[in-house]
Amino acid sequence: MRLTDALRYYVNTRVMGWTAIRVNRLYSEMKTRFRKERKDSYTAPPLRISSRTKEMIARHYLDGRFAKPYRKVAWVTSGAPVEILNALGFHLFYPENHGAICGVSRTAEEISGEAEDAGYSPDICSYARTDIGSALSGKTPVGKLPPPDILVACTNICQTVLYWYGFLAHHFKVPLILIDTPFIYTEASDHSIEYVKKQLEAAVPIAEGVAGKTLDERKLKDFMYKSRIAMDLWMEILGRGAHRPTPISAFDQFIHMAPIVEMRGHSHTIDFYAAMLKEVDRRIAHGIGAVKNERKRLLWDNLPIWHKFRFLSETLGKHGVVLAASTYTNAWAELAPMIDPEKPFESAARAYLHPMLNRGAGHKLNTMRRMIEKYSLDGVILHSDRSCKPYSIGQMDQRTLLMSEYGIPALLLEADHCDPRYFTDARTTTLLMAFIEMLGQ
Amino acid sequence: MHEALTSIPCRREIIRAHKESGGRVAAVLPIHYPRALFRAFQILPVELWGPPEIDPQYSKAHLQPYVCPLVHNALSYITGPESEVFDLVAVPHTCDSLQGLCSILTDLILPRQPVFPIYLPRGRRESDAQFLANEFHALYRKLEALTSLSPSEDEVMACILREEDADEVLAELNRKRKFLPLCQRDFYHLLRSREYLPAERFCELAKSFLAKAENESRDKGLPIILSGIVPEPMSLFEFIERAGGVVVADDLACCGRRLYGPGEDNDVFRRMAKSILSAPPDSTRGSSIQERADHMVRMVKMSGAKAVLFYCMKFCEPELFGHPPLRDELNKINIPTLVIESELSEASLNPSVGSLELFLETILCG
Repeated sequence: MRLTDALRYYVNTRVMGWTAIRVNRLYSEMKTRFRKERKDSYTAPPLRISSRTKEMIARHYLDGRFAKPYRKVAWVTSGAPVEILNALGFHLFYPENHGAICGVSRTAEEISGEAEDAGYSPDICSYARTDIGSALSGKTPVGKLPPPDILVACTNICQTVLYWYGFLAHHFKVPLILIDTPFIYTEASDHSIEYVKKQLEAAVPIAEGVAGKTLDERKLKDFMYKSRIAMDLWMEILGRGAHRPTPISAFDQFIHMAPIVEMRGHSHTIDFYAAMLKEVDRRIAHGIGAVKNERKRLLWDNLPIWHKFRFLSETLGKHGVVLAASTYTNAWAELAPMIDPEKPFESAARAYLHPMLNRGAGHKLNTMRRMIEKYSLDGVILHSDRSCKPYSIGQMDQRTLLMSEYGIPALLLEADHCDPRYFTDARTTTLLMAFIEMLGQ
Repeated sequence: MHEALTSIPCRREIIRAHKESGGRVAAVLPIHYPRALFRAFQILPVELWGPPEIDPQYSKAHLQPYVCPLVHNALSYITGPESEVFDLVAVPHTCDSLQGLCSILTDLILPRQPVFPIYLPRGRRESDAQFLANEFHALYRKLEALTSLSPSEDEVMACILREEDADEVLAELNRKRKFLPLCQRDFYHLLRSREYLPAERFCELAKSFLAKAENESRDKGLPIILSGIVPEPMSLFEFIERAGGVVVADDLACCGRRLYGPGEDNDVFRRMAKSILSAPPDSTRGSSIQERADHMVRMVKMSGAKAVLFYCMKFCEPELFGHPPLRDELNKINIPTLVIESELSEASLNPSVGSLELFLETILCG
């Protein structure tokens, strides 16, 4: 590493880039402060913290853009044990998050079209298609993506990452660390925990080799400790959704979950969620709900439909319906108690084995039941996401059981988290209207 | 069908005979599992590759339309009346869809039989072999509880050796395929009888055909490699033959990707695990694209194939991801490729026959 590389990185990011982003944020905050609240809006104004979320994401992508050759870059799955990589100084890039950005910015169709033109089937996951399309064409709504020096895929969210990261390893000709996490039905067996722990330990020398430095165990513990604090805060924020009216909706959670996924383990993430918690508490104190005239409270299951945020929030908000909780955002909170910085490998093995997607359909049903009680919910929308089979298989029975055994109205909504071709406004509006009517007054 | 093949007992007969002898029968889903371990408990594993031509009416109430037809058919079959003969269902975690199926069977649908998941590691590292051995050990305990039998290590080893013999004979059949007096469909009928015949019966049958091997190759037509999960419906081979092609090697999950070598370990569980991990590259076990491409290129060179046909099941992610890079690698050595999709039924195959004919004709004329 040359001094000039470091200098170029810090000037481009910390001095120039971050300053520009900060100015942009301050300007945005000022505008928000003086903006009059729209009377015709059915939802509360965005959380003030939103401009900080944008700032954090922008900084993260800017750091990535100028990372090379000063910093090594790791592309990782959302369920990957990133604390080891953080401790080794990698810049982390999340293709799934990039897919979500493409979905929100409505560029996913065009970018994934590049993958389809190269022969990739429209039946594969739209995140993967978007990422492959981006890798093949260089197209992205964020300017430029940092090419990876290493890839880390953890199967605790799906097996799709195995094939997806297989493509990336082949395309970029870089090492792929695979952390295979056996599926859990009741509880993780000792040999499963041991298996994951061994893989984590084996990943260290590979990552060290790429990073060109040795893992400092104190740093690792520090990242785990901070990850744990950030996850605890995130859990507290989600828990505030139980208030009536709920101060934050699942739409807010989807927007503000980016730091817990991408930047957990960093001090600024803790500061961010601490500030967010304060703002949410202020809303509670002032009786501000995410939806004005809250009438009905729902649970959202599965990934969001990134390209239809506004449409869905307005359609529901118009009828006083709020998504008070989501099984998806909950996934980054529920593992916090398992993380023990004093036993970094063993506790990481245990925690990363237990995401909801790596557990049986019965566990998810029980989670939904618990959430329905905790958040006093009136119904459930199950997004049947054609791009996410692990999340979606089981929903048809879960819906039947929620309705027949627990008397909870539930709607199965067919769509795709990124690909707009599987969503029609008219059909969805009809379905939602019928469902809202079924919920009653 | 070849006269001698008509003597192969069908699944139903084999199941009935095994049950009459006091044994149990397991319905096993694709792809990899420890056959010997089931046999040690006097359980005959009978594989369910779909099955094809099942009315998926029942599964449509439980699975979304974007789940692959193999899983749809399997669910309809397992919950239907014909599955009553099975005493247990074993589901290897081959992909997200099969994992999901196992999960809903275990937690939500609850079929008549107990459901045993088998988690397969996604690598070939030492830690993967040890984990798989531990999984097999855990499966041993479950089968022990189910059957009240406790086969000794020697008994398990005897079963392993029988399966290894059958695997060796299976490999020999593949090596001598062009010298056997069988048409393509009959040849695959013979190969796939390994999906339900006890190892010793399969060996006996296969050896009788190997004894009839001729000195000269019978292959007439354009040599191709068939890649995919399962060649259902089997009329696929007739279409290939009619279009002037002949399958000289395969990369099928039900056949060529299960040419296991012996496990080379004295511990029975590790031996079974190592044997499974020794199989050719497989998209569902984490093989890299390069490993798969190298394997296919090797097959092309050894078999003299002039084209590769990717016969893909609709919505099969493990396969779909691999096609573009594998086709690129094959194109580099001037091997043309074609991808056709099917849903395990004649009706879904028929629209692709035209493109298959055109593909083979173009190569034959070129």
